[in-house]
Amino acid sequence: MAAYLSMGEAHRRIGDYLSRVVNAISSSDGAALASLVAVSSAPGSTPLSDALAALPDFPRLAGDRFPHLADFLVPLLRAIHSHSLQRFADAYSSFEKAASAFLQEFRNWETPWAMEAMHTVTLEIRLLAEKADSELVTTGKNPDKLQAAGSFLMKVFGALAVKGPKRIGALYVTCQLFKIYFRLGTVNLCRSVIRSIETARNFDFEDFPVKDKVTYMYYTGRLEVFNENFLVADQKLTYALMHCNPQSESNLRRILKFLIPVKLSIGVLPKRTLLERYNLLEYADVVTSLRRGDLRLLRQALDRHEDQFLKSGVYLVLEKLELQVYQRLVKKIHIIQRQKEPAKAHQIKLDVVVKALKWLEIDMDVDEVECIMACLIYKNLIKGYFAHKSKVLVLSKQDPFPKLNGKPV
Amino acid sequence: MATAPAPADAKAEAAKMDLLEDDDEFEEFEIDQEWDDKEEGNEAVQQWEDDWDDDDVNDDFSLQLRKELEGASAQKS
Repeated sequence: MAAYLSMGEAHRRIGDYLSRVVNAISSSDGAALASLVAVSSAPGSTPLSDALAALPDFPRLAGDRFPHLADFLVPLLRAIHSHSLQRFADAYSSFEKAASAFLQEFRNWETPWAMEAMHTVTLEIRLLAEKADSELVTTGKNPDKLQAAGSFLMKVFGALAVKGPKRIGALYVTCQLFKIYFRLGTVNLCRSVIRSIETARNFDFEDFPVKDKVTYMYYTGRLEVFNENFLVADQKLTYALMHCNPQSESNLRRILKFLIPVKLSIGVLPKRTLLERYNLLEYADVVTSLRRGDLRLLRQALDRHEDQFLKSGVYLVLEKLELQVYQRLVKKIHIIQRQKEPAKAHQIKLDVVVKALKWLEIDMDVDEVECIMACLIYKNLIKGYFAHKSKVLVLSKQDPFPKLNGKPV
Repeated sequence: MATAPAPADAKAEAAKMDLLEDDDEFEEFEIDQEWDDKEEGNEAVQQWEDDWDDDDVNDDFSLQLRKELEGASAQKS
C-alpha cells in the first residue's frame, strides 16, 4: 500500500513530473524526454504513481498548467496511472493517444533531436500492447492491441522514412514492426517496409546504427529461410552474426539457431565447439548424420527435437538434408567398394544400397531406392546413370559426388 | 460432466498464451547501446567447415557399414 499522501504533496509531484517533460521538450533534451516516457519498465508503485492515485483530478492539473501540450500530457499521465494499477489494456489505449500527439509534435520539429524519445515511445507501444494482450486473453477478451500497435508504428515509420535527417531512425521502427509481425504471424506485412528500406536511393543502409542493422538482418534472414532462399538467408544471417554485439550471447545464439540449418543446407557444417559454446546441441546429431551418411540418426534427431524445430520453422529445412545424407551414404559405399575391388567400384548395385538401408532400419525396396538415386542424379548430388535392367547405378568416373560448394541443393 | 470443461479450456488458453511468447524474438539492444564493430567480426564466424566431405572410412560407422556390406556379398556367393 502506498503511504498516505497529502493532496499538496501529490500536486507537487505531478507538477514536478510535468515540468520535467515540458522542460525536456523546450530544451530539446531527447535523452531526458526518453526516460520520462518509459512507462512499462516502472515498478508498481513510484512516487509519481502514488501521487496520481491520491489525486484523481490529475487530468485537469495537466490541462490547466500546460494547455498547449494537454493532448500529449493528459493521456501520458493516464497511461502511467493505469499501468501502476496493472490495467494494461487501459494503459495501452491511453499511451497510444499520447504517442499520437507526440508523433504530431515530432513531425513539426525540423531536427531529429527527439529521436531517442520517439524510439522509446515506439518500444513502449509494443511492450504495453503485449502486456495488454496477455491481460485481454486472461479475461477472455479479444487481444487486439498488438495489431493496433503495428498500425500505429506504420505511421511512425511513415514519419521517419522520408528524405532528410530523421531517416536514420527508420530502421529501429522497422525492427519493432518485425517483432510485432513475427509474433502475430503476419510476416507478409514485413514486405512493404523492407521495400521502403531497401530501395532508398538517397540513404545508404550502412549508415544506420549497427544495433538496428543487426536486428534487421536477423529478421530478414529468417524471412529468407521461410522462403527457402538459402543463399540470401546465409548472407543476411552471417552479417548479423558478424556484427552482433559480442557480449550479447543470447542474440548470437538466436542468429546461429537459424544460420546453422541454412549453412547445413549449403553443405557447410558448424564445428562441435560452436554447438557447445552456444548450447545448440539439438543440431549435434543432425551434423553427425551428415558426416556419417547416417539416415537413421537424421530421422531420430528430427523426431527427438520435432517440436522445437517446428516452432522455429526450420524443420522443413532440416528434413531436406536427407538427400545430402543419402549422397554421403552412397559415397561411403563407393569408397568401401573401391578399397575392396577397384575395378568395379563405379558400379553400385541397388541391392547393396537396400542392404545398407536395412542395416539402418530403413525398409525400402529396390524400386524405391532407384527412385531416390534418380532424385540424387537430378539434383546433381550424384553424377552417373542407371543400368535399369541390371539394377545398377553406374557412377561417373569424374567427380561422382559433386560438392555443394555453398550452393543449395 | 457439466463441471469439467476446465481441461480443454485450459489447453486452449495455454495455446493462446503460447502465441504471446516467442523464444526467437531478438533481445532488445539498449537504445543508446553501441559496441566496437570489429572488421573481422565475431569469432563464431570462423567456426565452420566446408571441406568435411573426405574419403575417410575408418570411423566406427563406416567400419560397421563395411561389415554389413561384406556380410551381404558373402551370403550371396
